[in-house]
Amino acid sequence: MCHCGQCRKQSGGIWSSAYVHQDALAISGAVQWFASSKTAKRGSCPRCASFLFWKANAEDTISFSLGSLEGATGLTLSKHIFVADKGDYYDIADSVPQKP
Amino acid sequence: MYQGSCLCHAVTFDLAAPLRPIYACHCQQCRKTSGHFWAATSVPNTALKLTCDDGLRWFQSSPTTKRGFCGTCGSSLFWVPQGEDRTVVAAGAIDGDTQLQTKAHVFVADKGDYYKICDGLPQFDEFKGDESA
Repeated sequence: MCHCGQCRKQSGGIWSSAYVHQDALAISGAVQWFASSKTAKRGSCPRCASFLFWKANAEDTISFSLGSLEGATGLTLSKHIFVADKGDYYDIADSVPQKP
Repeated sequence: MYQGSCLCHAVTFDLAAPLRPIYACHCQQCRKTSGHFWAATSVPNTALKLTCDDGLRWFQSSPTTKRGFCGTCGSSLFWVPQGEDRTVVAAGAIDGDTQLQTKAHVFVADKGDYYKICDGLPQFDEFKGDESA
């Protein structure tokens, strides 16, 4: 669960994601990539702007949004990150570990 | 007065106070668009001034609603119900402190299975709240 300023701007709230090795992800259709920093890029749908992917240029993994997954995921949250940048309009009330 | 923008600032806007409290929407469309759930306020259209709309694009998300986003960086910014004189604005797009509070979670019947809602706020399986801004 990422509360950083970039994820908040792009998602409209908080971005939740998991990641896999890039070879484990098969993408169908077009992705619009935005270089959000010198070291990472963000992928969204060019038609509806769904925020789908985050990729660090130097890493061989790719993060994908949990909201994009169909049906039950069987996943659980492991941590909140960049909570120092969180919005003032919500509280983090679960017991998931937080990192500043 | 509030200011907001997308991630790359190809869309910037001003919002005139007061803003409606935040609703957190867990519907399928908001989950897909945002990547988690979508938190938003709502303003009369007269309270929203686009100061840059270079990147603004629209997606017709249903026969009666459309979503506004930045075509450059993909930020999800607006939701507009047709026939109503208001615009729903992403809380995450607003710069700095908002002084707002989340009022309720809506469409929780559609929420993801990977998170719990633990904040004690009201939860509804549909929208229940101040429809108008």
